[in-house]
Amino acid sequence: MIYELIEKLDRRFPFERAKAHCDIPCGIYDPHHAQLAALTVIRMIDLMNELVKEHGQQDMEFHNSMARYIAVKEQHAELCKHEVRIIWGDYIKPEHVQKYPELHELTNNIMKLGSKCRQTTSRETAVELLQAVNRFAEIFWETKGIATKRAKAPYKPEEEVVYPVLS
Amino acid sequence: MIKLVKITGQSLYPIYREGDFVVVSKIPFLFGPVRPGDVIVFRHPIYGLMIKKVERCVPQTGDVYVVGMHGHSIDSRRFGAIRRDDIVGKVIWHLKKR
Repeated sequence: MIYELIEKLDRRFPFERAKAHCDIPCGIYDPHHAQLAALTVIRMIDLMNELVKEHGQQDMEFHNSMARYIAVKEQHAELCKHEVRIIWGDYIKPEHVQKYPELHELTNNIMKLGSKCRQTTSRETAVELLQAVNRFAEIFWETKGIATKRAKAPYKPEEEVVYPVLS
Repeated sequence: MIKLVKITGQSLYPIYREGDFVVVSKIPFLFGPVRPGDVIVFRHPIYGLMIKKVERCVPQTGDVYVVGMHGHSIDSRRFGAIRRDDIVGKVIWHLKKR
């Protein structure tokens, strides 16, 4: 009642604003980077497998390509963890956790899967990482009241990704 | 001596949220010093009017170090101490957004 009254007054004669200023552009969060990073990890593992199958001799070309795939896999597994950690730490609030009790465990699982993707070349683990990040994205968009859909990414590795349905 | 301001930003979340109103006043400082834990509104030469929590005070100079509630807050860790003269007042009433 008092709030509504002051809010009305504020609309008519705006009060001065006091900034509780943050370092980052508050409100700009999107799990898309994490999803792309997880897809990249799968793609790198596929490329590594193809290289082993198609490249008979392990010459310098082989080692050069393999080193590059491994480096990108490492980088994107870590990037995936980083992006999820930012949303979890800066955006997720206690009321979200109350509504989605799986959130903490899901985030922890993403951290572990991300690390496992760096340690191994298991495609299954990489797909698990993407699935966990997809679920995280689903919850994220739900907290904003935005519906989601699942569709295959229109590029290799053509795995299923959660997209927000924006008007 | 008394001022009503609206909060923008998230650095004091979850205690103070964007859209909350606070009444601030210098009157409490007529009866006692600024203390750690006080939530104050002050003017910063670059960032303008800000609201933060007092972390510590320097009795000799009257300078005050302020912090937000989380690591991304822009506060004394970034811009150092604020001067006593720049303090607009202490929060004496908090009206939360519904």
